[in-house]
Amino acid sequence: MNNIAFNIALPLLAAFLLPVIHNGSAKASRLVGPFVLLAMCWFAAAYFIFIEHPVALALGGFLPPLGISFHLDQLSLLMAVIIPLMLLLLWPYTNREGFREEALLLLLAGASSGMALSGDLFNIYVFYELLSVASFGLAASTHNGAAFAATFRYLVISGLGTVLALTGIGLIYTQTGTLNLAHIGQLAAQLDNNVGLAAFALIVLGIGVKAEIFPVNGWVPEVYATAKPRISALLAGLISKLAVLAIVRLLVVAYADTDALSLLLVLGILGIIWGELSAWRAKDLKRMFAFSSIGQLGMVLVAFSIPGEAGMFAGLAMMLHHLLVKPALFMLTENWSGSISSLTGAARQSPLGAALFILFALSLIGVPPFPGFWAKLIMVTGLVGADDSLYLLALGILLTATVIEANYLIRCAIQLYAPADENSSQSAKHGRLTLSISSALGVVLIISLFSITPLGNKLYQIAAEASNRSLYINTTLSNAQVPALRKIQ
Amino acid sequence: MSAMELHWLLYAAAFGLIVIGIIGVVTLSNIFRIVLALVIAEAGANLLLVIAGYRFDAIAPILSGSSVATGVMVDPVPQAMVLTSIVIGVGIQALALALVIKVYQHYKTLDLREIHQRLMNDIDQESGVRPLLSPHKPAGKRPLPEPQTVTGYHDIARGGNE
Amino acid sequence: MRNYSALLFASGLAFLLMVIAWQFTIGGAPMLIGNAILQQAADELGAANLVTSVVLGYRGIDTLGEIAILFTAATATSLVLSSISGQRSRPAPNTAQSGTILISSSRLLFPLLLTLGLYIVLHGHLTPGGGFQGGVILAAAFFLPLLAVPGHGVNHSGLALVEGFSGAAFILIGIIALFQGNAFLQPFMGHGAMGSLFSAGTLPLLYIAVGLKVGAELSGLLANLAEIGPAHPVAEISVETQSVKGSAHQ
Repeated sequence: MNNIAFNIALPLLAAFLLPVIHNGSAKASRLVGPFVLLAMCWFAAAYFIFIEHPVALALGGFLPPLGISFHLDQLSLLMAVIIPLMLLLLWPYTNREGFREEALLLLLAGASSGMALSGDLFNIYVFYELLSVASFGLAASTHNGAAFAATFRYLVISGLGTVLALTGIGLIYTQTGTLNLAHIGQLAAQLDNNVGLAAFALIVLGIGVKAEIFPVNGWVPEVYATAKPRISALLAGLISKLAVLAIVRLLVVAYADTDALSLLLVLGILGIIWGELSAWRAKDLKRMFAFSSIGQLGMVLVAFSIPGEAGMFAGLAMMLHHLLVKPALFMLTENWSGSISSLTGAARQSPLGAALFILFALSLIGVPPFPGFWAKLIMVTGLVGADDSLYLLALGILLTATVIEANYLIRCAIQLYAPADENSSQSAKHGRLTLSISSALGVVLIISLFSITPLGNKLYQIAAEASNRSLYINTTLSNAQVPALRKIQ
Repeated sequence: MSAMELHWLLYAAAFGLIVIGIIGVVTLSNIFRIVLALVIAEAGANLLLVIAGYRFDAIAPILSGSSVATGVMVDPVPQAMVLTSIVIGVGIQALALALVIKVYQHYKTLDLREIHQRLMNDIDQESGVRPLLSPHKPAGKRPLPEPQTVTGYHDIARGGNE
Repeated sequence: MRNYSALLFASGLAFLLMVIAWQFTIGGAPMLIGNAILQQAADELGAANLVTSVVLGYRGIDTLGEIAILFTAATATSLVLSSISGQRSRPAPNTAQSGTILISSSRLLFPLLLTLGLYIVLHGHLTPGGGFQGGVILAAAFFLPLLAVPGHGVNHSGLALVEGFSGAAFILIGIIALFQGNAFLQPFMGHGAMGSLFSAGTLPLLYIAVGLKVGAELSGLLANLAEIGPAHPVAEISVETQSVKGSAHQ
């Protein structure tokens, strides 16, 4: 019995029952989460390995576009595998306090899987909201005044985003009369006007709150500075990518040939400039990484705005690289929360931590032969190939941003290995769990370093499939009878 | 009232509520009022969804008896969507109120600007980078930035209470 | 700084709205899937209320997400409001009375609200209303006594039980459909006579689960918010606000 719907049903079921199980036996309740995540991994991996061509799964047995459909292609299934793996890695194994955080994490797993798989605009919105509410709870779980205030601002910005996204969805519905992404793609001609573009802009601004897109990312430094490193790692690494993917799906299916690409490009460029400059000015590691992830997501957005397969390839490469590197860096801030100047000589107390920092920093900057270099190379190739003055401007900004990135990351690295003086903090040692999480990610990074060619080929195949608009539309609608367009009398 | 006028009125109301709500969220400083402004904006978005499925002179999509004659009915899909989004709104509002209570307990004020400033100070203090109080040398041998944190705090607190 | 960014943001939005207003065609959406659902829903699901067919049938997974959001909000709220994570702060016994009218009317209204709520939940597939609307009325029924007698405790473990099992029931009905060889959340058990109470297959069962879940969730949320005692003595708060005001007007 294998069905990808279990990836939504199981975590939600477990989360609903977790309070009851916890009342019965606290020990058993701690086993539930990891077990469910393992099962999710298994279901998604089985699909990912054996799938030959994209499949549309009609939920509730109602054929799309009437019912909601899941779109299973290699990209969505890859995300569905990564989500439980990431959560397993960042699971609060040492948490002995309560079950609520675990329930929220399970809900987060279900919501993110739904967001990755769903092929229906409103359904994506529902899962996005579920993911938002769960992330509010997780961000506030630090339980101090600063965390509550930061979460409140996060919630208000997200709430605004909700309103904008809902307005955008409403506008798309008034223009096309449908919600299924493939069906919207079929009717894309009706969205090729100012109203359609405005709807896309509203959805980008709305869902972009989680994707840390430029004007709606005011919450990022505050939340990442106050939340637990595990939660920051999850939000910056995984959740932001899912929001980006939702936007990219809509872009590929319905807005591939319009000005929407320029919109993403401009927002991405602004994000790079703002993020990297703020990161350069930041004086503590947590906020430096927070701002740098804004900059990195700007780069991802710029990459996705390159038209055609090249854009999808570059975007996916940058996205997956950031997904791997940023959680590890955030985990390293666990005991390095002070200002950067207080980290002098921290390498002596935590040699492995410092070595991992160097590894991830080099990859983030894009030093050859690390995977980050290949990701940026793909992106540069795409930008050059796009052959447009705006893309060349983006190329210039990307290279400048890389220099700035190198500047502040190497500054930190030098500080870590500097001889200790009286300013160095006493407890710069990392916990064993933190180190093993970061090391696991480091091992993945090194393995991908040695298998860069097959990985690149596979990624190109995934990108080609994901950027194929007619394939997406045909997969979902091939078996369904599309009702004829009928205007009201 | 003709169909056209009614549609205009409804769309104007929906966009009006959204705009009023967003202006409220962006300009107000009392966090409780911000939550209320968010509720207004959400109501506008919900209204927009409902009228996306509205037809003039149509009936509710409920069959009476065993007849299958649909007649002229309004679109049931936006109604289902609105039901969902209202419930989502309720959940977010409850969480927002809980956070308002907690924020008030910690900072003893409802002024967002002041809360934000003190939040920034808290974060700075926790990470030990508050420029005036920190004896540390700046990283990377750059000159210290202007100590704007403290002056900014008073400016904003004054501006917020005027 | 915040004002400038806020202004910039607002003016950007205003521009977007003007763009929309410029080209917007008034007259409602083309009812593509709407018309198709109006024509097929009665045959496919057998529910007289077509909105219910959409909510639980065509867009059933949305509804699952929706009750999950309520559950998440309730969990997050109790996580935020508990002073130490995992432990709920017990409020000091509040002996304040709220007056005869509220107390006696809450006793009078309780059975009426309960009946009305259950009626609306059970007839969700026939008449306007359903699990969400009925669930809210059920929550109101359980919240009224809390308003009348503020110290009146709420059985949180009982609520957690109802919450957990009603939510699980919704998913399990979906999974049973899966094991019968259908799709997840596909309605089964036959249609019955259109318009009768026992019709529309599993839709009424799903709505009962939704109603119980929403009722339990909302009463838990409201009780959590109502149970917050003042964490600091009131006098201290007023002094603090005064001092803040004083420093601001210097």
